[in-house]
Amino acid sequence: MREEAIPWIPTLDIALRVRMDGLAMLFVFLVLFIGALVMAYSARYLAKGVTHADYFGWMLLFAFAMVGLVVADDVVLMFVFWELTTLCSFFLLNRSGPKAGPVAVRTLLITASGGLCLLFAVILIITTTGTTELSAALVSDAWADDPTALTASAVLVAVAAMTKSAQFPFHMWLPDAMVAPTPVSAYLHAAAMVKAGIYLLMRFTPLFGDNTVWQVLLVTVGLVTALMGALFALQRHDLKAIMAYSTVSQLGFLVAVIGLGTPDALKAAAVHTLAHALFKSTLFMTVGIIDHQTGTRDLRGLYRLRRVMPVTMIITILAALSMAGVIPLLGFISKETIFAAFIDAPHRGLPAVLATSAAVAVATLTFAYSCRIVLGGFWNYRGVEDPRLRGPAGEHHDPEQKPAEASALFLIPAALPAVAGLVLGLFAGHLDPLIQGATQAATGSYHDPDLTLWHGLTPELGLSVLVLVTGVVLVVFRAPIDQWLNRELLPFTGVGIIESLRRGAISTGTRVGDLTRTDKQYVHLGAPWILLAALGIGAVVSAPVLSAQVEGLDQTSDWVLLAMIALFLLGAVTTHSRLTALLLVGAAGYVVSIWFITLGAVDVGMTQILVEILTAVVLVLALRKLPRNFHKTRRTRAAVSAAAALGTGVLAFGAAFALTGRRDVSALGQYYLENTYQDTGGTNIVAAILVDYRALDTLGELTVVTMAALAIIAVLTSRRSLDEHVNDFRQWNQSALIDHVDNTLPTRTLFRWLAPLIGIFSLYLLVRGHYEPGGGFIAALVAGTALCLAYLGAPTDRESPTRLPYRTIMAAGIAIATLIGATGWVNGSFLRPLYVEVPLPFGMSFDLTSTLIFDIGVYLAVVGLVLVALNYLGQAPRHSAGPQEEDALRPAAEAEKEGSS
Amino acid sequence: MTLSLTIALLTAAGVYLILQRGMIRIILGFILLSHAANLFLFAAGNAARRDAPIGADGLAGAADPLPQAFVLTAIVIAFAITMLMSALAVTSETGDDTEDEG
Repeated sequence: MREEAIPWIPTLDIALRVRMDGLAMLFVFLVLFIGALVMAYSARYLAKGVTHADYFGWMLLFAFAMVGLVVADDVVLMFVFWELTTLCSFFLLNRSGPKAGPVAVRTLLITASGGLCLLFAVILIITTTGTTELSAALVSDAWADDPTALTASAVLVAVAAMTKSAQFPFHMWLPDAMVAPTPVSAYLHAAAMVKAGIYLLMRFTPLFGDNTVWQVLLVTVGLVTALMGALFALQRHDLKAIMAYSTVSQLGFLVAVIGLGTPDALKAAAVHTLAHALFKSTLFMTVGIIDHQTGTRDLRGLYRLRRVMPVTMIITILAALSMAGVIPLLGFISKETIFAAFIDAPHRGLPAVLATSAAVAVATLTFAYSCRIVLGGFWNYRGVEDPRLRGPAGEHHDPEQKPAEASALFLIPAALPAVAGLVLGLFAGHLDPLIQGATQAATGSYHDPDLTLWHGLTPELGLSVLVLVTGVVLVVFRAPIDQWLNRELLPFTGVGIIESLRRGAISTGTRVGDLTRTDKQYVHLGAPWILLAALGIGAVVSAPVLSAQVEGLDQTSDWVLLAMIALFLLGAVTTHSRLTALLLVGAAGYVVSIWFITLGAVDVGMTQILVEILTAVVLVLALRKLPRNFHKTRRTRAAVSAAAALGTGVLAFGAAFALTGRRDVSALGQYYLENTYQDTGGTNIVAAILVDYRALDTLGELTVVTMAALAIIAVLTSRRSLDEHVNDFRQWNQSALIDHVDNTLPTRTLFRWLAPLIGIFSLYLLVRGHYEPGGGFIAALVAGTALCLAYLGAPTDRESPTRLPYRTIMAAGIAIATLIGATGWVNGSFLRPLYVEVPLPFGMSFDLTSTLIFDIGVYLAVVGLVLVALNYLGQAPRHSAGPQEEDALRPAAEAEKEGSS
Repeated sequence: MTLSLTIALLTAAGVYLILQRGMIRIILGFILLSHAANLFLFAAGNAARRDAPIGADGLAGAADPLPQAFVLTAIVIAFAITMLMSALAVTSETGDDTEDEG
């Protein structure tokens, strides 16, 4: 046994732990050996002339995920690989043609719900044992104190494995998944996907093996699945469907025998896993060959292939006999060991007899459907050929094609596992070390496998003879049995149930969503408002003791600001005019800016003033597309809104008064005040926080700003913007206001003089931000005001100098900020600033820090947003009915723009 | 007291406007609520200390720089959201109306 561990999430003690023991060895061998054969086979099977790079990529990833799963010795790592196999199977299915989409989704739903169970189990294991190391958790003493957790984990792990291994009632995805190309099915059924569940059960047997719930669950579900699968396999005519139900049945057999939990049972499971992988991979690959060569895989359409494809027939017979459990193949040995495990199981009485009988019945049916595959594929199962059935089931339907034997390179990958089944059956002793290692890992105790074809006259040999005799009888009477089975056994199908469950979930979700699906914002705001009110009432009722307020919170000038705000707000809520309301809210915004400045926040105040200017310009651009006055609201609505507003205002006052101003500067704030200069060399502490201490937040903010800009572009290009509201301005057609070229002349002249000044000022603010008020945001907003001026001064939108490549500018902003952040890794971490002293002439020098370049990124992103807002909200209508009408409307529209701004 | 009262007024006006019909009033209400939230952050510092936190030392009376950094970020994001909401206001068939009632 070999172990390796690389720390992954050290704080949670999660590591990339891997170990190779006997059990992992067995499964790694299967995954890689069968995987290599299937890949080689795929090269012949898949259509020529098309690239299958993604197919091979997913298959390789699948193999990687399976190997990772079986060697993982950390429960979290194991879960990650488990989910990776789910995803790989989804994508492999999903790429298999037009009908595969819903199938892939159904498979994903079933296996991903199993993955959730495993996640819960993993959490339970970690919380119970306190470790994520799988091998340590399996033998932890903590389980003895918590039998409930043990049983719960056992059930969760069992359900996870049952979804993956297609056990009843989760079995339907496997036959469903037959839409995938045959090599995918071969891999899924023989070595990958479904074997992941078997591995999981075997891996957890040392912990759960003695648990009664685990035993009963696995044995019952396993045997029911095995019987059901075998019966369905006998009923089907599509060779691939027979294979699928055969896999369901064989896996049920495996699950049941693992449920017995004895060393003998685990040995049997290990041998049968190996035997099943070998014969099932061969069978799938030969089905693929038949399909490829004849164009059908329906038993009723295949006739006398034994003459045309003798080699394929021999390979198929070899594998089918192994599946049927006929001496001297490996399948015989595995079936014998399974019988032995059932006979020697510690439980006695009726359940044991029932279970053993069921196992015998499964083996008998397996014999019958194995013969059905061979007889149906190469002879004629019911003696009648129905030419109408030729073709439709296959993936390679070509009516002109004459069946012929496949090439050697096509046959060899299929033949190898079947030959291996024969050789390993004859020389079973050579498997002892591998099976011994697997059994020891799965039980924790040494056990000599002693595999051989002949153990003397044992009870299991008697059962084998019984199976053989009954099986032959079933084959002899196959015609009447086939006749009798040729009907609907159940009034419903598994796929139908899954589909109705899925539809039900979606419609339930829709109904839940309907409760809040409305455009009326007050419905959405109702719930948080009621909660807020409850919170406020609760706070008053609990009457907390407040510490004393700090001295000197209020200054006389504050009252002036308060009075101004009150006046503006009163106007804003009572006016009917959109423009008036906008201007009054803007005025309140300027007072808030002054508030910021009086509170010592110069940068914030400057930013707020600039934002107010830009908001006003952009909102006016939006307003000219809207009616002059607000919609009328009913009196009751106004009254209710006013009551809610008053209530919230009182709450806000209470919260602000009771919860703030009762301590000195926060410890973190104090740290910044004392250490910023030493840490960053900057004297503007707020700017230093933005571009140095909390630069990652600022980078996130840039992303948000850019996303908002992109959303504006998306909204205004995908949905047509409203036409300008021209009606109000038609009367001005005769006035001087209509002459937009002349009217904008003063603004243009002003801009020509101001633009360089504003530009230089903006750059100056950008550079000095490290030491004095300024920085990227403010500089960009100043530049934004210049852009507004430029836009307003342009005679038409088309001539506006703001038609700059805003997308490039925004992208450059984010790219610069991120790349300069990446240089921080030189110094230890992302976004850590670097300092360079740039020598200047005359013996001077300039301290260049990477935060300045980061600030340029900020600058560009914000400028990009302003440009997007101006260009998109300011655009003239692009969808006028005709050129004449457009010409008629244009002057009025332009005039209106000047008029409103 | 003055700061708390300002926050209260801005909140009340903001809530009133947000509950009205039409996107523009919702935008204006949103702007007022963001002012209120920003001032609340300032109140959480110590509003008695009002010197600008700029300089290398002698910052004993300087205001808490942390709320300022928060608010600076918040203002720019609120500006971006305002822009996006104005784009939404002018794309509906029915103007900036948010309701069906007459």
